[in-house]
Amino acid sequence: MPDHALRKGLDIPIAGQASGEPVQLDPPSTVAYSPTEFRGLTPRLDVREGDTVERGAPLFHAKASPEIKFLSPVTGRVKEVRRGRRRVITDLVVEVTDATAAGVQFEAVDLNDADAIRRALQQRGQWAAFRTRPLNNIPSADSTPQAILVSATETGPLMPGPDVLIGEADKEHLTRGLAALAKLGPVHFAVPKGSALASAAGSAQTHTFSGPHPAGDPQVQVNLVCPPKGDGEVWYCKAWDVVEMGKVLAGGSFPNERVYAAVGAGVAQPRFVKAILGSPLADVVGSAKGEQLRWIRGSVLTGQAVDADRWVSHFKRAVHVLPDEVESELFGWALPMFGLWSFHKTFLKSFLGPGGPVDMRPGVYGGERAIVPIGVYAKVMVSPDILPEFLFKSIVANDLEEAIQLGLLDMTEEEAALCTYICPSKVEFDELLKKGIEMYEKEA
Amino acid sequence: MKHLIESQFDKLRPLFEEGGKLNWAWPLFEGQETLFLTPKHKTKAGAHVRDRMDMKRLMIFVLYALAPALLFAFYNVGYQGFLAEGVANPSFAQAVPRGALAMLPIIITSYAAGGIAELVFCVVRKHEINEGFLVTAMLFPLTLPPTIPLWMVAVGIIFGVVIGKEVFGGVGMNILNPALTARAFVFFTYPAAISGAGVWDVGGKDLLSSGPVTDGYTGATPLLAASSGAPGSDAVKLITEAGWSYQDLALGLIPGSAGEVSSVAAALGAIFLVVTGIASWRIIVSCIVGLLAMAAVLNGFAGPESVSMMTLPPHYHLVMGGFAFGAVFMATDPCSSAVTPTGRLIYGFFIGVLCVLVRVVNPAYPEGMMLAILFMNVFAPLIDYFVVKQTTKRRQARMAAAA
Repeated sequence: MPDHALRKGLDIPIAGQASGEPVQLDPPSTVAYSPTEFRGLTPRLDVREGDTVERGAPLFHAKASPEIKFLSPVTGRVKEVRRGRRRVITDLVVEVTDATAAGVQFEAVDLNDADAIRRALQQRGQWAAFRTRPLNNIPSADSTPQAILVSATETGPLMPGPDVLIGEADKEHLTRGLAALAKLGPVHFAVPKGSALASAAGSAQTHTFSGPHPAGDPQVQVNLVCPPKGDGEVWYCKAWDVVEMGKVLAGGSFPNERVYAAVGAGVAQPRFVKAILGSPLADVVGSAKGEQLRWIRGSVLTGQAVDADRWVSHFKRAVHVLPDEVESELFGWALPMFGLWSFHKTFLKSFLGPGGPVDMRPGVYGGERAIVPIGVYAKVMVSPDILPEFLFKSIVANDLEEAIQLGLLDMTEEEAALCTYICPSKVEFDELLKKGIEMYEKEA
Repeated sequence: MKHLIESQFDKLRPLFEEGGKLNWAWPLFEGQETLFLTPKHKTKAGAHVRDRMDMKRLMIFVLYALAPALLFAFYNVGYQGFLAEGVANPSFAQAVPRGALAMLPIIITSYAAGGIAELVFCVVRKHEINEGFLVTAMLFPLTLPPTIPLWMVAVGIIFGVVIGKEVFGGVGMNILNPALTARAFVFFTYPAAISGAGVWDVGGKDLLSSGPVTDGYTGATPLLAASSGAPGSDAVKLITEAGWSYQDLALGLIPGSAGEVSSVAAALGAIFLVVTGIASWRIIVSCIVGLLAMAAVLNGFAGPESVSMMTLPPHYHLVMGGFAFGAVFMATDPCSSAVTPTGRLIYGFFIGVLCVLVRVVNPAYPEGMMLAILFMNVFAPLIDYFVVKQTTKRRQARMAAAA
């Protein structure tokens, strides 16, 4: 069992950790999908406003591969198709009419039939849990991966981990899911060091990971375990999504319950909840505190800020509510600032440790400058042999060929976000990475 | 207090903002405001939260690291002034005001003249004030003799800011260290004011002078003394004969550029910069290794016919001239040094080697640190180029071999 003990990286000590047993929520009045959260997906609707849908019936499919379907989590009525700029569908809202209906019944799938497994995962709404390296798209319906990395680790700030998301009863589904995936390609299973989950691996190659963020990020793990070779692609997904795959392969109703975490200093009582897939953010969070708040689907590093009246993400199992007010400090640049913590060793608390969770605000805390390379980025880079200063300079210079040479396709989103977090020049490396990848897609 | 200042800035802001009457002076306003208050603007894209560290804090910490060198400069400039006038043991209270009187006008001139150049560029090019200037304008005076005419300081710093930095696009884009560019400009344009024997002390020249310089006082720096012996003579003996012990050299109670004399002060700054993670320990350590190695090699070649500097032992090289100050504050400038970790080791090593080579082999310049650093500044991108190529190859090989 290969062990990856990583030392570099950073656990951001942000306040608002959820605790306790998951709270069972009442059924919501509406649920919704945001097709925009699936990178590279163009949705084609299977329903119209006002249509009634059954739990487990398709709402929309991928334009490029009609087999890849997205299913309604509940029996209800299509209430609204919200559109954003250029008429992109931002939310497909379903009003819940019968929260307990069993809906469409799936048959059990033969776990020795690779085609049947592939078809079932696509048609039963599980395919979008896979993402490809290097581009992080949903794999096309007929593609074959060089390897599949299933990650049961999570190190993102305040993101819920396997201990919360994978219950005792889920283990058999996990094992079934992993066995099914093994028919699609060689499976690598990443677990936290010392975790009992390793016993669920079956025939998959198990890897243990430990260390600060981004040690638990599957993109980083792909780089360390099974980087894509040549023009091929490697898939990755989270182990808790494989649990859902295991469930649909066993048959029965569409599994529509998920555990979400409501975290951050803007949540009155940070907690875990058991809720219907696609529940409203407000249901999951319960009561928020403060006037000005930023609602984030996912973590503060790579999550997406959305309006408070929207719905939870399908695959990011956390909602972070961040107080959205920034105070300025008098002469903050020159004083010791005893109360503040920083990754850089220029504050007293950088040496002593943060001394507990830090109430962070979305301030930039500085003017944007050219990169002054004092060598800090390397301290959060886990992927081997990538020099962030050079990679990002080549992206700024629109030099695609150079950027690819320097590891544009190997750079991960979490590492870029960490570089952004610690950058004293306040350069947004994660935005530059997106720009670089877009540049690559346009050329290819 | 804070709210009062905040409300004043809020009142003035509309004047300077887009569409305001004084919009052209926005960098000036922004610079003033962020001097008092940390910026309040929020993240719009990318990671939602950010670290508290910013460029202002980074640069002010370099200034903190310079404090020992600056304070010692005040003391030693006064001390050397009295020494030249034959006052054997000037007291601390006598020396410091005299040094301050000599140094403060130079520092103020550097900040004022360089600041105007910086501001003009900010306004014309519409970027915020680069706080790296705060460091440049303090480093430059510390590399000068205390007798330098103020107009040369002004011309030098303007050259350094404009040619050394702004024409490349400001801090982060520059190839050469701006402070050293300024010094090199003064060094080659007005050599009489910055080299030789007579310029390193304020004896007999300033307001607090106790009398004329005593007869027979040469005012030569230890490096000049060590290099001016007859061929085959022993450098350490020359220094001892001139009246300096190794301890004097290390402490910095010697004539020389105002802030560069004390290796102890530079070492204190080095500890501070390395602990706070601002300066690269790789550069400092490899500079020292390069210097010691090259000096040891030259010692091995010293013969009866060779110049006296050949015999100067490595540990003397370490504490003489501007080496320590340069290695800690100039070579580590992250913008003009190599960027890759391996590149930094190579870069620093050759600074040390070149410093000794210039000191020993070149008869025209007794001190070589400035030229060594500038030379390696130019080569830093080339070093990085090869290191990056190597890293890329290694990554691609690893990717091909994996899975």
